[in-house]
Amino acid sequence: MNPSEPNPRRIQMPWRKMRGQGAHTLAGAYALDAISAADRVRFERHLAGCQECAQEVASLREATARLGTATATTPPAGLKDRVVTAAAMTRQQPPAVGDTDSAARARLPRVGRWFGSLAWPGRLALAAGAVVAVVVLGAAVVFGVANGSIRQQLDQAQASSQQIAAVLTARDARMMTGPVTGGGTATIVMSHSRHALVFTAAGLRALPAARGYELWLIGPAGTRPVGMLSLGSRGTTGPVIASGLRHGDHLALTAEPAGGSSQPTAPVMLYVAL
Amino acid sequence: MTATGSTEPESRAPGAGSDLAAQIGLVARGDAAAFDAVYEQIAASVFGIVRRVIRDPAQSEEVTQDVLLEVWRTAAKFDAGRGSPMAWVMTLAHRRAVDRVRSVQKESERERRTASAAVPYDEVTEAVESSLERERVRRCLNSLTELQRESVTLAYYGGYTYGQVASLLGVPTGTVKTRMRDALVRLRDCLGVAEQ
Repeated sequence: MNPSEPNPRRIQMPWRKMRGQGAHTLAGAYALDAISAADRVRFERHLAGCQECAQEVASLREATARLGTATATTPPAGLKDRVVTAAAMTRQQPPAVGDTDSAARARLPRVGRWFGSLAWPGRLALAAGAVVAVVVLGAAVVFGVANGSIRQQLDQAQASSQQIAAVLTARDARMMTGPVTGGGTATIVMSHSRHALVFTAAGLRALPAARGYELWLIGPAGTRPVGMLSLGSRGTTGPVIASGLRHGDHLALTAEPAGGSSQPTAPVMLYVAL
Repeated sequence: MTATGSTEPESRAPGAGSDLAAQIGLVARGDAAAFDAVYEQIAASVFGIVRRVIRDPAQSEEVTQDVLLEVWRTAAKFDAGRGSPMAWVMTLAHRRAVDRVRSVQKESERERRTASAAVPYDEVTEAVESSLERERVRRCLNSLTELQRESVTLAYYGGYTYGQVASLLGVPTGTVKTRMRDALVRLRDCLGVAEQ
């Protein structure tokens, strides 16, 4: 009916299916420390956004702890003296107060399940938004000076970071996070009242030199390119602002020729309802 | 086996968790006396699991010391809302032990450990005589299927990754992952661990 309706063949993504299977079955292995360091990092990133999983892991940890305490053995004489002496000379870590601490991040359950989108309560949004905005300002300035006059770039960077901050602090800001097909994790903060979203990703697979990641908004108003992503170290990208967001839009991520395409080409690595 | 309550380690008493949590809270504020009390409650368990995984006595002692010092250093990070204090401590201990084992996995080392890790369950059995807690854990391990039990003991006491466990047992990795999870759920229920 609508000629600009997204072509389902091209954007049908297995990505919803990924949620239960891959990550969740790792809960046992993770609680047993039976995973590689790389898997551990990946799974912990997942845990930070999945309260249910974090709770399950916590309860499984209670079980593994009992396997551990059952092995209790009197430690060698002299150990206590050495530990106490060493403690007296060791500075303690301060408690976490900022939201940048991983423990604190793990306690932001409302931020979402695997792309379950949930509204941020205002205060949380403001607090977290402020933190992200600081990061964003820094990042935008750094990314902005690649070409053109520095002055102009800085102006643009500042405008863009103001837009980003506006989305992050909007009352209806919603944050979603989830896996990118082929590797990586994407995080989206969107605000319909601001008609915009902020996109960041980490761990994206490197593409051949002649290709790049391109973001799209796809919906009743048609398919609009948001722009090419520049990939930093370890596959990080963004924050990128996508304005012109409308109800019914989806966000899509594809790999395209470095100059960009007029239409997204399969495979679609990310396709999220906004 | 029911009349051996006096030999049970003090840290296992129900309710000890909240005391320990409170003491860790004091440790976070630099309270040396509280750290002394915490040491008494956790040192044997930390040394036990580190020794079980690492085996080498000198390295075990070194890692145990690191873990206990980490408890001192990071006490402020303990969050009672996210689990029991003992689970927090044992997570630190087990992870350190496993990391140590994996970082020094030289050929000879691995061969030696493969030979010894083939019998972790028997060792549990043999260590189990003296306390109700050990008896309880042994009984719950016994309630698992063989594959579940082997997956859990090879991983937890042997320090193997699920991939290594899968190849030791000759089963697909997916199977091992689900067995580990199922096994821990059953253990949790059998041991009467309170859900968080």
